[in-house]
Amino acid sequence: MHNVDLNQLASLINKNIPGANATVNVAPDAKLDSSVNVEASHIYKIAEWLRSNTELPFNALQAITGIDWMEYMEVCYVLANFDVNASRELILKVRVTDRVEPNIDSIMKVYPAADWQEREVYDMFGIKFNNHKDLRRILCPDDWQGWPLRKDYVAQKFYNGMEVYPDAKMNFEDRDFIVRQAMIKKAQETKAQ
Amino acid sequence: MQTRWDIGEPEKVTINEDTEQLKSELLTLNMGPQHPATHGVLRIEIWTDSEIVAHAIPHLGYLHRCMEKHSEHMDYRGVIPYVDRLDYLASMSMEWGYAMTVEKMLGTEVPRRAELLRILTGELQRIGSHLMAFGTYALDLGAFSPFLYAFDYRERILRLFEEVSGARLLYNYMWIGGLWNDWTDEQLDRVKQFCDDMEEEAKKYHELVSVNKIFIERTKNVGVMSFQDCLDFGATGPILRGAGYKWDLRKNKPYSLYNEFEFDVPVATGEYGTTVGDCWSRYIVRMKEVIESIKIIRQVFDKLEPGPIMGKVPKIIKLPKGEVYVRTEAPRGEIGFHLFSEQDGKTPYRLKIKSPCFTHTSMLPRVAPGQMIADFVATVGSIDIVLGEVDR
Repeated sequence: MHNVDLNQLASLINKNIPGANATVNVAPDAKLDSSVNVEASHIYKIAEWLRSNTELPFNALQAITGIDWMEYMEVCYVLANFDVNASRELILKVRVTDRVEPNIDSIMKVYPAADWQEREVYDMFGIKFNNHKDLRRILCPDDWQGWPLRKDYVAQKFYNGMEVYPDAKMNFEDRDFIVRQAMIKKAQETKAQ
Repeated sequence: MQTRWDIGEPEKVTINEDTEQLKSELLTLNMGPQHPATHGVLRIEIWTDSEIVAHAIPHLGYLHRCMEKHSEHMDYRGVIPYVDRLDYLASMSMEWGYAMTVEKMLGTEVPRRAELLRILTGELQRIGSHLMAFGTYALDLGAFSPFLYAFDYRERILRLFEEVSGARLLYNYMWIGGLWNDWTDEQLDRVKQFCDDMEEEAKKYHELVSVNKIFIERTKNVGVMSFQDCLDFGATGPILRGAGYKWDLRKNKPYSLYNEFEFDVPVATGEYGTTVGDCWSRYIVRMKEVIESIKIIRQVFDKLEPGPIMGKVPKIIKLPKGEVYVRTEAPRGEIGFHLFSEQDGKTPYRLKIKSPCFTHTSMLPRVAPGQMIADFVATVGSIDIVLGEVDR
């Protein structure tokens, strides 16, 4: 799907940005997508280089996906090159290990598309983007508590005096997912002990 | 106090030179969430300097259901009805994108007849969606009758979909591995008839609205989104093509069987004194795409042969550990599904939806400064937002 030699790209990144530590994450199967892992502290410089270089440019940012792997969180940048002759795609990944105060540099100045995408990642995972101009929640209300897409998220009981999961209005089959949340939490606690 | 939002270039704000002396004050105006021109539940906080928009700050989330979280507790088939509710005016295209994502990860081969029928339904859905965009856009600008014309023809598409899938809006029709139901010959004949009628009808729309002097005066040079803006914000679909760039995934990165089809990718060229990238350009790209979709549907009939419509899919879908990102060309732009799975995962570990309307809405703060409020309404309408997809 990518139309780009990831090994070549990784070595180019390493050559141009010292300390980027780019490695190719090869998918075990051809039908799955491979990606490039880089160091979180260098993401701004890497994004700048990816957009402005002449060898393998990526002129558009498609999406930023946050993902919670329990031990660490990951931010995936899906980049694309909108060029009829040289269309390519890239999944760039950085690792965020700190769960309490996760933070990473914003790439909003390079790709303005990152503005809302980063706000969404902040809204859903609580990852702070340094130097972002307007880092507020975007989909949830401003005074919502917790980070919904984290795996250990438990919804707040009350929101502005309203019950969040009122018993009378709950479909109890849907309760499954709350039960699953409790199971995940339990598993984490036992792991910590 | 001046800017809570200053990504829009401040130079673009045209403030009358006299205002320095007049010391005018910015007035906050809320457009929405119940404003008809916002096509749903979008609230835009507009800071106006008299009649001129100084800043526009969209506030999202009124339709937020966090379906990305819900999908983590569904099996892969169970997500399809949720995906329908993203872009509820083009549910078929959403289902198609999601089904392709899971099929790619599963390695399923979709039968040829199913692929062709998917193209047929996908293109019919594109026509239906663009008719809706056409009707409501004219309605936003004060012309009521185009809305009725458009709904007359959209109704014929919905009737066909209703017969084939059982639902009028949220179909749950494209399943993983193929389709739920086959089209009968009688229904396909009606599609043929619809194509012939639609082609004639499109000419009528062209004369009624597209080249109407009032309409052109109202939309030309309004809300210009240049090619550079589109790249900056990652805009796709009619917005990018309206900015004069020939980019269509069906042509540039063909998925399904699109490489077998012949069609053009319409782009705006700045006819009738308009600027490339303005509201009229985006409008005309959609109307031309309707004609191209009719072309594609006609080619489907030549290729269609009897055969199975469902591929071999295990009863319980278990995906390998890994990720895929699949993007397809929906009526409103490129929709992308980023799916992560655990080893033998029965539910998505994480499903991220890259929605085109979310991207396009984020361009509003860039284009709004310096516009009249009435022109801003025209701009919002021209990007054809569906809030179900923005808020997910």
